[in-house]
Amino acid sequence: MPRLLSTALSLRRDPRLLKIPPYVSALCIVIGVVWLLLLPLDNYSRRTYVSENALLPGQVHTYFGGSEQHIFRAFRHEVDLLASKNNYEVNDKLETILTGFGVKVGRQNYTYHSAGETYSGENVYGILQAPRGDATEAIVLVAAWKSIDEQLNRNGVALVLTLARYFKRWSLWSKDIILLLPPDSTTGTQAWVDAYHDAHDSEHIAPLPLKSGALQGALAIDYPHEERYHELHIIYDGTNGQLPNLDLINSIVNIAGGQMGIETIVQQMTGHTDSYHDRLQTMLRGMLYQGLGYPTGPHSSFIPYHVDAVTLQPTGQGWHDEMAMGRVVEGSFRSLNNLLEHLHQSFFFYLLMQKNRFVSIGTYLPSAMLLAANFTIMAIFLWVKSGQPIEKGASDESKERNLLSPLALVATCHAISAIPLFVFNHLDIKTLPLAFEIFSTSSTALPAVFSLAIASLHKPSLQYFQLTKSFSLLILGVSLATLSTLNFSLAFLVGLLASPLTFLQPTNSRATRWVFVALLILTSPPVVISTAAWTSGLTMSGVLKAASLGWNVWGMYTPVVIWCVWWPAWLIGATNTLIPAFQM
Amino acid sequence: MRSLLSLLLLIVPSVLVSAADYHEQLNLRPLPLSALLASFNFRANTSLADFEAHNFRLFPRSLGQILQYAGTRELHLRFTLGRWDAESWGTRPWDGTREGGTGVELWAWLDAETDEEADEKWLTLTNALSGLFCASLNFIDGTRTIRPVLSFQPEGDHPNSTLQSTRLLHGVLPHEVVCTENLTPFLKMLPCKGKAGIASLLDGHKLFDASFQSMAIDVRPICPSEGECVLQLEQTVDMVLDVDRSKRPHDNPIPRPPPGHDLICDTTKPYHQPGDACYPVDHLRGQDWTLSQIFGRTMKGTCPLTDAEVPPVCVHIPPTRDIFASEGAHEIKYSDNDSMRCYQIDQQQEFTLILTNTESTADGVAGPLGIVKPETPVLYAERSFTGHGQEHGGVQAILTNPGDDPVEFVYMESLPWFMRVYLHTLSARISASSPNVNTSSADIIKEIYYRPALDRARGTQLELLVSIPPHCTVFLTYDFEKSILRYTEYPPDANRGFDVAAAVITTLEPKVMNIRTTSLLLYLPTPDFSMPYNVIIFTSTTIALAFGGLYNILVRRMVGANEVPRAAFKDKVLGFIEKLKKKRAAVSAAAASAGGSARPAVANTEAK
Repeated sequence: MPRLLSTALSLRRDPRLLKIPPYVSALCIVIGVVWLLLLPLDNYSRRTYVSENALLPGQVHTYFGGSEQHIFRAFRHEVDLLASKNNYEVNDKLETILTGFGVKVGRQNYTYHSAGETYSGENVYGILQAPRGDATEAIVLVAAWKSIDEQLNRNGVALVLTLARYFKRWSLWSKDIILLLPPDSTTGTQAWVDAYHDAHDSEHIAPLPLKSGALQGALAIDYPHEERYHELHIIYDGTNGQLPNLDLINSIVNIAGGQMGIETIVQQMTGHTDSYHDRLQTMLRGMLYQGLGYPTGPHSSFIPYHVDAVTLQPTGQGWHDEMAMGRVVEGSFRSLNNLLEHLHQSFFFYLLMQKNRFVSIGTYLPSAMLLAANFTIMAIFLWVKSGQPIEKGASDESKERNLLSPLALVATCHAISAIPLFVFNHLDIKTLPLAFEIFSTSSTALPAVFSLAIASLHKPSLQYFQLTKSFSLLILGVSLATLSTLNFSLAFLVGLLASPLTFLQPTNSRATRWVFVALLILTSPPVVISTAAWTSGLTMSGVLKAASLGWNVWGMYTPVVIWCVWWPAWLIGATNTLIPAFQM
Repeated sequence: MRSLLSLLLLIVPSVLVSAADYHEQLNLRPLPLSALLASFNFRANTSLADFEAHNFRLFPRSLGQILQYAGTRELHLRFTLGRWDAESWGTRPWDGTREGGTGVELWAWLDAETDEEADEKWLTLTNALSGLFCASLNFIDGTRTIRPVLSFQPEGDHPNSTLQSTRLLHGVLPHEVVCTENLTPFLKMLPCKGKAGIASLLDGHKLFDASFQSMAIDVRPICPSEGECVLQLEQTVDMVLDVDRSKRPHDNPIPRPPPGHDLICDTTKPYHQPGDACYPVDHLRGQDWTLSQIFGRTMKGTCPLTDAEVPPVCVHIPPTRDIFASEGAHEIKYSDNDSMRCYQIDQQQEFTLILTNTESTADGVAGPLGIVKPETPVLYAERSFTGHGQEHGGVQAILTNPGDDPVEFVYMESLPWFMRVYLHTLSARISASSPNVNTSSADIIKEIYYRPALDRARGTQLELLVSIPPHCTVFLTYDFEKSILRYTEYPPDANRGFDVAAAVITTLEPKVMNIRTTSLLLYLPTPDFSMPYNVIIFTSTTIALAFGGLYNILVRRMVGANEVPRAAFKDKVLGFIEKLKKKRAAVSAAAASAGGSARPAVANTEAK
């Protein structure tokens, strides 16, 4: 041991040591990416299992069916009759139906403003009081009037009404059942959940007239599908990449597959063959949704409040009917009803690669951490380098660092990042695309302006470059490492896209510089966003509108990460690369 | 003397069993939407002199001895499950005075000069009652006991001198699940047990399948203006049955979907088609039941001990509805209240009642439901938590006065110690839609009685004297902080949360009645209980590897093998042993050479 220590101590002075960090950095990136690609293999992912024993999925007989189908059809006719009515008329009718069963009904008005548009509506919800319960706990059944794809959720609403009437007859409920019928799949549930937890903006969102106990779980039905379906699509991504407890998904997979014989899929992966390719694709899709942090269904709003929720969406052509769907919901509710404690046993951080295969945080986290570490290693390396004399053989003592101007540049870049954040979340939809174009142009021009300004102010030295880059990478590394524990996918994606910044450096070779500039422009946030929008067939204004809505309604923090972490790092990297020539 | 008395009792029982000693009555009141309130009331009187002489007849000895031992003047015990739906069911039975919050609630006036003595007796009482009623009443410890100041008044007649030396204690167990094991001891206390009379209708399966049920035991001294004082034991069971649920056969209780042709449909709907689409209108159908259907058994005559004057069964239903009673029963109608009918029953015969449905709704038209319209309660109360997260929270009680008179009441909360109330945040706000919007918080809350919690020793007691103007809704709110418990203080189901007992509301004006809110479930910050294990393993490993290695390096001195000085002590010992060996060799050699000289030589060594 002491020999080892003394060897290490003597190595500290070895100049060869300083050549290693860039390679370590590159290695980190490579290992990080390879690590992710290894995850779908059998050795690195695990089969899912139900961890909470109280759930007992699929252990009960479900009786929903038979003559309930006649009632279901009648309610579907009622829904059809209401299709052309406005929100209030629809709610009047729904209220009449629910009150008829002896369900307590409440209504809530809400208005959201985002990107110059108003999103308003009225939620109607009923509380089916547990016959012997005491209003301490509740589970929620959601069917939005408009499905995720903006269609009439015809079967979903009718099914919820039929199930409410059916559930009312059972006396075994230990928790209240809340039937929530918001006018749309996006804003309605958010307003309701916020108001339920008294976290709403009371100016625009009305409080709830009726409340029950602590919410233990929520299930949303998104069922505009007309024909008989083949499989059940479980949508589980919450706002900001938060996920529901894995036990909830496992139970539903178990009930649908084991009891009802209905296939379940995740991340729209129809015909999953359980091959490496399919697993990887499922995982990457999941990461993309998680990274965007955008709500994917009416269930998403529940998850930030630690209420585990998923949306069930029947898809495909098959032979299962609405009653089968009803039985899945019944079975899941019976399982949730069994819960003695809040769902806490299983994982909250996972990546699903098949309905019954996952990797947990301990296994996948290193890949994002390695990407973040690459920035930190480089930052420390540059800090050490900046303190060393340039000429070889010069005196051994370290050089003095001039911190003021590098810090000023880094601070300026981070300060101006508030501008895009503010602009994109507060402008209205008409000016947003124009603003984005202006911003993209100026974002590309800004590094050139900055570098010229710096060059004219003082002759930039190598140390100046090293210090600015060091600070910028240090912030990036720390932010991404922190973010990776909250939203792994976002941290990974940003880390990957920002990884060229580690290796860009000023150069005197004209050709190399042009290569760098091209690389920089390709990986600049505005270009990446536009490319992503273009490849997924979305209009830029649609993307900007959705981002603004995400920020204003759901409190989505993806824009903060993009504009306030990634973009300033890119700006500093680009400025440094463009600084013409300096004393080498 | 006593033997003489018992002899007398044997000879002339009919003389001594006075009519007023015991009576029982069942009140049935159909409520909207297939709900039916059944109120059982059993009342037994024993003279105080008999009670003090340990002469128990109608009063159960088991309870009597407990009361005497614990010096209890007045006792109220409640077992409640479910919640009363005031919006549809109206006023509570007995004006809410015979019900408790969810779980078990107990309050009693105990003979005690000091608080310490009261605590001691309270401990005795709760432990004894816990055994008697198979309930965890022994868990009512100091943290769950409060001493209400405004909320409870003695119901019995106590002389002022006795009242001075009594203490009122109140304890509540919100998490206690009431079930059949509590019903059995309850029935055992009745003079006819569950064998005859209305108690024969009490079946655990039906009682605990009810939407709301409350069992109450009240012991209080009653002193009529003339005559001697009596100790009254009143046992009450209120239950709201779901008629549809109760009518399901015992052997097939599963609510399977009925066959298609049994559905009651709205035939006026354009899409109506038998066997295809059916808009259900069964909720518009009135109630029809028989007594044996809803209770699962018939009533076995009357209890022979009961007062013959009091009819054992009464039904509250409009006079237009038809009820048929079984043979031998006699219907009594009252001129002052035409919506009440009572039945006198033959002592020996089984009794049942049949309520038939009104035919007016058969065609799907919403007709009169054929029930007595429930009375609007004086006050609606609802309470819930506000806020989210694991650090802070708030409580909001919504109190609505639907009537034309102002309502004055005492609002009492008994909160656990880990819910640290910020009393400065207590506020009362009148809702914007109310007519008297300008009433300030001080006008609503007249008086506050607050006894703060002590960590792990006692809970918070909060009593507010509140007055609400007519047709107003008041939001009563306060904030609290959640404390972090010690690792071992968490129950096994820590992630479920902690139950917070119901708030007790006692109205003073316009009439005295009780309301209880629902209980609440409070989430506290809960540790990951596998974490300590991980931490222990991790730290042990770190210490073993890092500390062990470092300590080794720091403490151990490394020197060459030849540089080591020989250890002194070991040398001395070895030297000594060698010497000894040499001596012994020398001595034995000497002994061998000259036989007798051995002894002085040994002595010589010893002296040395």
